[in-house]
Amino acid sequence: MAAMKPGSRKPVSSDRPRGRTVVFAFAAAVFAAAALILVALVLRSDGDTPAPTPSPGVELTGIPQDDRVLGNAAAKVILIEYADPQCPACRSYAEDLFPTVVGEYVRPGTVANEFRGFPFIGPDSVKALRFIFAAGLQDKLWQFQEALYRNQGGENDGWVTDDLLREVASEISGLDVDKLFSDAESESIKQEADAASGEAEAAGVQGTPSFFVKIGDAEPYFIQVASADQMRAALDDALSE
Amino acid sequence: MTDRALRLAAALVALAGAAVAGYLTWAHFAESAVVCVAGGGCETVQESEYAEIAGVSVAVLGLVAYIVVLALIAWDAWIARLSAAMIALIGLLFGAYLLALQLFVIDAICVWCLANDLLIAPALAVLTALRLRDGWGQPV
Repeated sequence: MAAMKPGSRKPVSSDRPRGRTVVFAFAAAVFAAAALILVALVLRSDGDTPAPTPSPGVELTGIPQDDRVLGNAAAKVILIEYADPQCPACRSYAEDLFPTVVGEYVRPGTVANEFRGFPFIGPDSVKALRFIFAAGLQDKLWQFQEALYRNQGGENDGWVTDDLLREVASEISGLDVDKLFSDAESESIKQEADAASGEAEAAGVQGTPSFFVKIGDAEPYFIQVASADQMRAALDDALSE
Repeated sequence: MTDRALRLAAALVALAGAAVAGYLTWAHFAESAVVCVAGGGCETVQESEYAEIAGVSVAVLGLVAYIVVLALIAWDAWIARLSAAMIALIGLLFGAYLLALQLFVIDAICVWCLANDLLIAPALAVLTALRLRDGWGQPV
């Protein structure tokens, strides 16, 4: 066998594809990517936009409410929740952990729950927050926000329509829908909703849902909550202070 | 750049991709990650409806793809090189789609997704494609 000349290319083994094969393979890859994107768009998860749930996941009847506070106004411990109505994690919290908080702490009267807004996701967050605040004027804030989460759409998908808000409001017993709409358009509610994000950021809130615990007149402190057990530990700790 | 160096670089990039996809897979399923972050974030992106295809997490798809590419790099036959380059190209284009979603649809940027879409996927596509250069134009 003759020696290779210096600088000559190493012989290509017979299983190597020629250029046409590579071009064809790349074209197939582009086609496969386009198909994958199409499939991804068609079969995307609807986890962000679950079908509306017809009935509340938590029963709030019989629990006192005063504007944004749910539960015993004289409770030593107040659990403060910062939420964005468009945030899917807030919806998950409302569905999964909120019933535990209500059942074990708020209904027995040991902890009160205060709602605060952090409408950072988009303009619809602010609009929804106006209606949540307006529902608070009728002491129905917690029912309204719970119902809104059950009908939550995708972030900034334009799901916070007047029709949806009216539909959600009309399912809440005792809520005056016309008053809700006029209150939501009032200057004071608009100002509060517009200022909510700034106030939350000033309090150190970086995302939603975020939770703070307030014991008596002390300064609220942040608690990390990712499970029912963590929530129980934080509230039990506060109650034992 | 020698083929050996290209192979090593491709393997390292694929490993980095697997690490990022692995983290995002963990974050997708971890309870602690369930939060929407101001200014956007991985959690918002991963909670979006685009984070899953027919119930399968996009992060899981990415993890599987990177592991397959790593295996193909280890195999190193020509068909393996070609397959790795094809998967990397699909990953690059799909990454561009995910990037567009983050910028224009979800309105939230996930920094780990960005690292994958802008750095890792393009680098892997280039490196795996360069490894085909010796076969270019040669008869079978």
